[in-house]
Amino acid sequence: MTSTENEAEDVREWQYEPAKDQNQSLTELLQGFPREPHLWMYALRTSAALIIRSWMKLYHRFEIRGKERLPIGKSFIMVANHQSHLDTLCLVSAIPLRNIHRAFPAAAADYFFKGLPSSAFSSIVVNGLPFKRQARGAESLVLCRELLRNKGNILIIFPEGTRTTDGSPGVFKPGIGLLCSGTDIPIIPCYLEGAYESLPKGAWFPKPSKLILHIGESRVYDDNDAGRETFQHIASDLEDAVFSLKPTLLK
Amino acid sequence: MEMVDPVLGRYALVAIGLLVVAGFILLGMRLAGKNVASIWQTYRGWLIMAPLLLITLWAGRVPTILGLGLLSMLGFREFARATGLHRHWWYTVSVYIGIVSLCVLELMTDPRTGMAGWYGMFMATPVFMIALLVTVPVLRNKAEGQLQLVSLSIVGFIYMGWMFGHLAFLANSTNAYGYLLYLFFAVQLNDVAAFTFGKLFGRHKLRNNVSPNKTLEGSLGALAVSMCMPWLLHFSFPHFGLIELLLSGAIVGIGGQLGDLTISAIKRDLGVKDMGSLIPGHGGILDRLDSLIFTAPLFFHMVRWFHDLY
Repeated sequence: MTSTENEAEDVREWQYEPAKDQNQSLTELLQGFPREPHLWMYALRTSAALIIRSWMKLYHRFEIRGKERLPIGKSFIMVANHQSHLDTLCLVSAIPLRNIHRAFPAAAADYFFKGLPSSAFSSIVVNGLPFKRQARGAESLVLCRELLRNKGNILIIFPEGTRTTDGSPGVFKPGIGLLCSGTDIPIIPCYLEGAYESLPKGAWFPKPSKLILHIGESRVYDDNDAGRETFQHIASDLEDAVFSLKPTLLK
Repeated sequence: MEMVDPVLGRYALVAIGLLVVAGFILLGMRLAGKNVASIWQTYRGWLIMAPLLLITLWAGRVPTILGLGLLSMLGFREFARATGLHRHWWYTVSVYIGIVSLCVLELMTDPRTGMAGWYGMFMATPVFMIALLVTVPVLRNKAEGQLQLVSLSIVGFIYMGWMFGHLAFLANSTNAYGYLLYLFFAVQLNDVAAFTFGKLFGRHKLRNNVSPNKTLEGSLGALAVSMCMPWLLHFSFPHFGLIELLLSGAIVGIGGQLGDLTISAIKRDLGVKDMGSLIPGHGGILDRLDSLIFTAPLFFHMVRWFHDLY
């Protein structure tokens, strides 16, 4: 037995996994997913989060009810109603600062990841997951599942798929059921109050109205089997859960 | 006081002269119908790097140390991204802290001697850094696979941080311009000579398992050129005698090529062609600095042995 032949086996084999974005342009790097960890990106995201949280507190008197219901440390999905661009920023603000790099709001790839400036904002500030809602929805769902398999990742999803145009609630799409049926991943229903009044679709600057985030009890759909009807059922169940958090008494 | 140090001025003239001549040669080759696209890109890289280097040196000791510190961090970043260490921020941040500490020590005054640069502590940094890095698994309460990360971090710090840091420490010397410019110039010329001699006379492989394109002929040719350099550039260090001149040539001629080959061996093991893609036509920072990393400490201690830094 020569020493050179078995050199690699003498020591337990090391695993090298070079960065996957080595030869990519900046735009490609920002549009790609999963993203490689970049310390500069983390620093920028944390700074941006501090600014956004201060803005929410001071300008919108942002309030979170039921924060203790978030199972921080585990993987989970937050689902919420979608009224405004403020929704994502509010939901991320509910997550402890040290966990935001592992919180991924699903963002429409065709809208939020077009060109350099918007991709930079969506990836650095929002930490968005580029969701291909038209052609390759299934592929993006596989990506989401992969993500949730690792402990401590948070997925933020708006199952309505788009922002409401008139403030009325939309219908939850069955994709969310496909994602969570038969898994033990907790789903946290959230309802954000006041975002439509502040920044509806089409407006370009938020009004200083109060925002309240209501966080509900987590649900699990581990005993559901796959099937179109099941997905539909889960989606409407979550829809009820989210909109039941809406306070009935108008102030 | 003069605007430009005479040694720096001479090197600037030599650099401009060489770049102009090389430009004309490239132009000639192009007109002769040869494909010079890749060499052209390398040349364009030099057109940017050479002035950047000269201006930083001209700006003085502090910008030079800070600039080299930045290069050191970029070099380590490349190493971390090529090995996968970049996914473990405890380790990378520790090494970055180590590199920043090196910069601080280079900029400080030695509290005992009052000289620029805290020599003793600079030389002792590996002790503290290795102690810090082997402690990381304990702090994180994690054992599995950590030895690889610890080892990679130590190599990264010692190589990209500490060994390369000797170059920045040389900026504290009274003869800083001569030493630094000689190293930059001779090391790069050594690379070019190895490439040229290899292309012209290359027959025998030098180290086929490490870097398949390097040849014995190229290596010997580069050594011959490097041995002449200290005499041609004697104005950089007029106080050098025969032994120092011989050693200066040998350090660049042998050390420079070893530096190149060591990075090649690392790249081969990792299975990457270039360490990065920061400089078009040159690859990454480490592909450009590999020889300097190796020669800087050897030259530094040679100078310090014979003449002290100040």
